[in-house]
Amino acid sequence: MSRFTLRDSILATLLAALVLSAMPWLMSDFALALTLTCLMYAGLAVSWAMFCGATNYLSLATAAFFGMGAYVTAWGAETLAYGLAVLLGGLAAAVFAALVGAAVLHLRGAYFAVITFGLGELVRHGITYYEKAYAGTVGRVISDPPETVTIYHTVLLLTALAVVTALAVRASRLGLALRGIGSDEERARTLGVDTRRAKVLAFSLSAFFPGALGAAMAMRWTYIDPLSVFNPFIGFQTVLIAMVGGAHTILGPIASSVLFSLLTEYLRLQFPYLFLVILGLLLILLVLYLPGGLASLLDRWRWGKSRA
Amino acid sequence: MAFWFELVATGLITGGIYALVALGLNLQYGLMRIMNISHGEFLMLGAYLTWLGHTVLQVNPILFLPVVALALFALGVVVYWLCFRRIIRTAPAVEVIEARSLLVGFGLLFLVQNAAYLAWGADLRGYSFLTEAVDVGGARFQVNRLVVFAFAVGASLLLLAVLRWTLIGKAVRAMMQSPTGAQLVGIDTRFLHPVVFGLGLAMAGVAGALLSMVYEISPGMGEPYTVTALIVIVLGGLGSALGSLLGGFLLGLVETFGMHYTSPSLKMLLSYAVLIGVLLARPKGLFAR
Amino acid sequence: MSVPSLSRRAILGAIAAAAFAPAIAPAFAQDAPVRIGYAIARTGPWSAGAQVTQEPNYIMWAEQVNARGGLSVKGKKRMVELVAVDDRSDMETVVRSYERLMGSDKVDLILPPWGTGANFAVMPLAQKHGYPMLSPTATGRKLLGMKNPYFFALLQQPDRMMDALAEFLAARGAKTAAVIYVDELFGLEQFAGLEASLKQKNIQLVEKKSYPIGVKDLQPVLNDIKSKNPDAFIALSYPPDTFLITGQSRAIGFNPKLFYTAVGTAFPVYRDKFGPVAEGVMGLGTWNPKSSAATKAYFDAHVARWKKEPDRWASAHAWAGLQILEQAVAKAGVDRKALRDTIANSEFDTIIGKIRFRNGENISTPGAVSQWQSGEFEVVWPPQNATGPAYYPKPAWK
Repeated sequence: MSRFTLRDSILATLLAALVLSAMPWLMSDFALALTLTCLMYAGLAVSWAMFCGATNYLSLATAAFFGMGAYVTAWGAETLAYGLAVLLGGLAAAVFAALVGAAVLHLRGAYFAVITFGLGELVRHGITYYEKAYAGTVGRVISDPPETVTIYHTVLLLTALAVVTALAVRASRLGLALRGIGSDEERARTLGVDTRRAKVLAFSLSAFFPGALGAAMAMRWTYIDPLSVFNPFIGFQTVLIAMVGGAHTILGPIASSVLFSLLTEYLRLQFPYLFLVILGLLLILLVLYLPGGLASLLDRWRWGKSRA
Repeated sequence: MAFWFELVATGLITGGIYALVALGLNLQYGLMRIMNISHGEFLMLGAYLTWLGHTVLQVNPILFLPVVALALFALGVVVYWLCFRRIIRTAPAVEVIEARSLLVGFGLLFLVQNAAYLAWGADLRGYSFLTEAVDVGGARFQVNRLVVFAFAVGASLLLLAVLRWTLIGKAVRAMMQSPTGAQLVGIDTRFLHPVVFGLGLAMAGVAGALLSMVYEISPGMGEPYTVTALIVIVLGGLGSALGSLLGGFLLGLVETFGMHYTSPSLKMLLSYAVLIGVLLARPKGLFAR
Repeated sequence: MSVPSLSRRAILGAIAAAAFAPAIAPAFAQDAPVRIGYAIARTGPWSAGAQVTQEPNYIMWAEQVNARGGLSVKGKKRMVELVAVDDRSDMETVVRSYERLMGSDKVDLILPPWGTGANFAVMPLAQKHGYPMLSPTATGRKLLGMKNPYFFALLQQPDRMMDALAEFLAARGAKTAAVIYVDELFGLEQFAGLEASLKQKNIQLVEKKSYPIGVKDLQPVLNDIKSKNPDAFIALSYPPDTFLITGQSRAIGFNPKLFYTAVGTAFPVYRDKFGPVAEGVMGLGTWNPKSSAATKAYFDAHVARWKKEPDRWASAHAWAGLQILEQAVAKAGVDRKALRDTIANSEFDTIIGKIRFRNGENISTPGAVSQWQSGEFEVVWPPQNATGPAYYPKPAWK
């Protein structure tokens, strides 16, 4: 993307969002639902890569942020306006990430991965216990959910916002600091980067989007319980998509979420019993024979073009 | 007194299994930086093999343990050759190995788990084995749990002994400490890597075989154990075999005592709180040097 | 049933049935087939329940109907074509699948997914597109509280099942009970029902504890309850825990007069695993092959088709739901509004007796208690449905 300026990229994103916003009137219910899934994973993967791709930290907290957002919706459904609930869902996740980040961002590698996963589980079990002990329930019903079209537009807006934020972060001093941390944290620190501040800030920023997306998406499920909204698979799938796409890029995770969502759905409908086996096999082959992710394909293609 | 004994023993039995599952994973990670997220799926295969052996061939599950261990070892060597050899050869840095092996692990998870759904269906399966209870020191235990405990701890100690006193064990420990240094003194990684990966899967398989004597089995049974194993190896320290053993016991005891003194509903909350507390105090785990 | 080659054949059979469903409909059928869509868990955590209780019945029903020459639609015979996908035990996939079935494929009818949560997620779509759903594995007052005119719950609701249990206990003179329940909507709702019923019958609750799903050891809790020596022990449990609680209670020699575990007790695998140990254990059940000639026929057909027995609780509800659908379609056709009204306002003959709905609730099937006795899950309460006398107190563990 180096040949595009920041402004070009942001304009391209907004243009794409504008086109996509007309889809509810052009697509069938199912195609819209599928687009929604693509957008959700694009938003999750881009915001994950925003922090983790640049710094090489492996966070497994996405499911926790998503679930927290969903629970803000569940608790606020009766009292809060829909838009406000989504915003608060994002903010709750961001605040949580800032607090947690300040405590655990000195850990690296597998330690960081496991502790972020553990924190997610801690929140899930904490909410389960709280709900049972003080609210006398474990699941909550959204009695008056918004229309699918509204949810679609919310998710589209959030995803576009995530992409724009990622672009802006990458072009900023913060992005530079994060990349410095990714290549050599010690050196970045000796060069005068406040690494702790940069990490906490970026981690918190990257948590806003999964939180808000969780708040919006959970509205579609009518019934919210800890197991379905803190589904660790949502988190794993996000990491998978971002890494297959190429986590140091922005276009890679987007392309990968579209590819992954469409491919999964196609295989699911065509091979109702075998599809996950095929998916697993494809994933292994992809990692072995395209180790740089989808982004490397893009680079190769661009390189070929510039040479021609 | 008997009451205390029972509580401690219950915790240790749970912990013994955790330790066994974690050891195999830690071995693979410590030596090759392979974070095998599909570890639990191979545990599940071990459980199904044992169940098949017991229900179809009428073989005693304990006698079947070596068969499971060998089968999973062989499978591990094959999986290593097909999936991980290329990654380790081509990756420019250890972080890259970690990331790519994680992705391949996801692929294996999909592949193996769903192949099991196809082969055996989603139904819960189970068999009864040594379910009668015995009195030990005034407390009562099911014999199968005691057997599981004995074999889990036995297998773990065996592995520790192998690492400590055999030539191959010394080579493995040398590799864990300094991969390049070990190569300089002539340790052959082309031999060592597949063997250790196979050993890791064999441990998972044995753990699964043991679990099938006590619990019901299903194709999705492995995932929670992968998560527990990750927690245990982080608690004990990555690459520390002794740490995994002690970390497993610690987690088992925390769960049992926590359940008794608070409420069973708080069990998971306590486990994760302990994990996070330990990591905040000791960022490299309890037993890392 | 535990011979794996047979179960694999069953799976392959299911693959064939799903993949070649269109091919089953003979070419000479004049009218287009009735397309019936559903998404259900074939993989993931929900699949253990879904593949025991629900999908085998769907497939077997479609095959039987087609073998009879098709579904009678207002007097005309039309073949049934199932449009089935795996929902991967994932909520968003459930919603998306039904959006496809109802909004894009526009199938004629739908069958519900497995479990309370997934049914919640499909309900608004069913109402929006006007598809009646007859749900065999959704339970809870909260579901009915949605007042969705297209939703019909076949299972007896928690209060009904727990009332029956309390009545049984009162009739046998039990004075005290201890309860543990799983931290899920199911456990909480059943427990709320049970607590009220026990109070009404003046049975004292000496202990109540909840536990998280997936627990691996409950011996300390069971020891504690044993020391309180209650007349009745009731575990409102889910399948893996049901097995755990049974095994550990036996190990510590905890043998109260009534020993009750909930979901999973009615699964054939419970008996197959425990053998004589299961003798006298009570649980959620409603029927068995001895209940009537119809249940016997259903049981035999299920065993012949799948080489495994149906569970003694919700499998029959799943079958009853299909029977209701068949009868309603015969009367009202596939005009779904008329179909809904027919389901809401008529009485139907099913293998679990006559069923009539009021506000979406099955108000005809009484709550029941069953007990394993010599390899069969005998219905022991209420007396008019009983297939045998109850063992009370429970015999010692074998």
